[in-house]
Amino acid sequence: MERVLEDFITAARTAGVRISISETLDAARAVETVGYGDRALLKDVLAVSLAKTAAEKQLLENCFDRFFSFGFFAGAADRSGEEPPRIQVESSLVRMLMEEDRAGLMAAMTEAARLENLSQIRYLTQRSLFAFRLLSRMGADDLDRQLQSLGAVDTPAAAAAAAGLEAAKRYLVENVRNYVQNTYELFAGDEGWRRLDGELRLVKLSNIEQRYFAHIHEIIRRMVKRLNDLSSRRRKRARRGVLDFKRTLRENISCQGLLFSPSWKKKKIDRPQFVVICDISRSVLRTVRFLLLFLYGLNQEIARIRTFVFCTNLIEVSDIFDSCPVEEALSRIQGGADIPLIMGRTDYERSFGDFRRNYLDAVTRKTTVLILGDARNNYNDPCPDHLKAIYGRAKRLIWLNPEVPAFWGAGDSEIRKYSPYCSVIRECNTLDHIERLISALIRS
Amino acid sequence: MKDKYQERLASIPVLEEGFRSVAYIADRRIATTVYLAHHLEKPILVEGPAGVGKTELAKATADYLELPLIRLQCYEGLDEAKALYEWKYGKQLLYTQLLKDKLDDIISRKNGFSSAMEKLHQYDDIFFSWPFLEPRPLLKALQEKDGAVLLIDEVDKSDDEFEAFLLEILSDFQVSVPEIGTIRAVTKPLVFLTSNNTRELSEALKRRCLHLFISFPEAALEREIVRRRVPGISERLTRQIVKFIQDVRELELKKVPSISETIDWARVLTILHAEVLEPVLVRDTLNTFIKFEDDIVVVAEKLHQLTATAIRQ
Repeated sequence: MERVLEDFITAARTAGVRISISETLDAARAVETVGYGDRALLKDVLAVSLAKTAAEKQLLENCFDRFFSFGFFAGAADRSGEEPPRIQVESSLVRMLMEEDRAGLMAAMTEAARLENLSQIRYLTQRSLFAFRLLSRMGADDLDRQLQSLGAVDTPAAAAAAAGLEAAKRYLVENVRNYVQNTYELFAGDEGWRRLDGELRLVKLSNIEQRYFAHIHEIIRRMVKRLNDLSSRRRKRARRGVLDFKRTLRENISCQGLLFSPSWKKKKIDRPQFVVICDISRSVLRTVRFLLLFLYGLNQEIARIRTFVFCTNLIEVSDIFDSCPVEEALSRIQGGADIPLIMGRTDYERSFGDFRRNYLDAVTRKTTVLILGDARNNYNDPCPDHLKAIYGRAKRLIWLNPEVPAFWGAGDSEIRKYSPYCSVIRECNTLDHIERLISALIRS
Repeated sequence: MKDKYQERLASIPVLEEGFRSVAYIADRRIATTVYLAHHLEKPILVEGPAGVGKTELAKATADYLELPLIRLQCYEGLDEAKALYEWKYGKQLLYTQLLKDKLDDIISRKNGFSSAMEKLHQYDDIFFSWPFLEPRPLLKALQEKDGAVLLIDEVDKSDDEFEAFLLEILSDFQVSVPEIGTIRAVTKPLVFLTSNNTRELSEALKRRCLHLFISFPEAALEREIVRRRVPGISERLTRQIVKFIQDVRELELKKVPSISETIDWARVLTILHAEVLEPVLVRDTLNTFIKFEDDIVVVAEKLHQLTATAIRQ
């Protein structure tokens, strides 16, 4: 029975429930305690020991119902009311089919599935192969042989028997196919989220399909939580000061040296301040979206973010991001009729010029400036002077380029002209890049 | 004692019946979880909306098993000193003062600084020993000889660090006190953690627990709860109250009425000697189960309709 539990857990993982090894062990022990006897009880036990949120419980219960469904071999093949033809029984499979032994057939099929490792099924194309293997395990060869020998005899009785067997065979094949299909959906449905997790981190953000967005957000949420956790200890230490003896003495001189009010040494953590300047022309938009999701998730770590977006000109959008979630904010900016953003050709000169004229005082010695863009200026004058002015005031200026380094400087890319005025230029097009970058930023 | 305890946890139906006997109406899943928690020696993490009886479950378990209930209420800034143990500083100071003469004695008999020190070293651990240790809830729960029910309430309100610190206790039922050593549980307590999901708990914590999600009960179960908790209430009124509350839960409210509020309302109505729900009566007692001004407005608008459907019960 261990094997059943193992398979069930694989199926549950495929369905999107996160199950660790220790939870598997717990479930095994729990099931040992209560046994497999009671279906509802087993479901409860598994739900309690494996699923750890309300949403996961729902997933797990659905998975359970599908996994332990015994709806196969229901409603036997249509006999149209006639007396079933008498068929000489040559194998157990034929006997079971003729006697409509549903339990026997089910048992034979699951046993065959176990021997053939049906739970290893991963791809759509494997279905026919597994169905074939299952059938031969169950003894379909004998059935065929009997059919053949019946075909050789030319009597009405034999013909009727052959027809009966033929129908039984169709019924069998259909059920086995359904069973394999069901198993395939359980174990490999949705292309296997298990593998996806690791892969999505490395996939280029610009290539990620829309339907994975929810999943990416989940990954980002977990990354953000980890980063937050990492530095919570640091925050705590800063809160708990030690006695500052010199200051205490100094301040209590007025009380004739009696130590009335102690003062404490406090460590001050400077949380970084960010100014984010994003190119939101279409080529870069995806990356912008995920970077901002990340940054705004880290609000405990970051003192203040001011966000500017540009395409042909540059505007500040901090208030939009402050007032609504990142997703919504981005769509508002893009479609925004009330926002004075011109979505024409990307113009770095004008945009940086705008920033220099209007917002330069947003950048101080404590500010880290993040610029996200591909520096493709449509062959206009890049005018690095504007960037130089920003660079001169900032603590750091980091340029994130969603293009791979091989393309930097090729065509209308002006990144080489801007590079003297950047502290760092980084390639940034996967979640991994973003995470590495940001964990470095909040630690330094 | 031990036998009785085992006997009461012998099977799931026994446990279900047991909860009933202490006026806690549990569905089978709850009983199953408690049963498993005992047999696997695992803590239970109880989640669910406010007021569905998460804390009550721990109390009922303690009641039924006749074990002491030790409760630790979590809040932001809770730390080891308040949760686990603390040294009785006052007592330590007092004793050093009282024993001053004794100490002088010991030291003065020795001549020479180093030998006095040596002599002192033989005694110094006295002040860091059991008599000076103030056990806080967690340590107390481990020390109970016959076992205990430990309730760590609203664990989501505590800091991340505290959560990490809980891990040792939850998985091994032991704590380390540097001056004394590792203290193991005499009898492993039955642990309940409750959470309202104000923040997501860490994976590590969840992994160590059985997870029980209690949602609002079905009408039949809620009726039974009301009958148990409010003796003397008429069957008809019970039906109407429960129907009304269940309908109110469907509305868009800031805070939907919980079971405890259903019970409160039922009590109020019995005190007022009500036999059936009437719109006027409901309007006057609305504030027993709706706690926000905005919500009251929403419910009051639909009051007649809600009462009408409830009365049909």
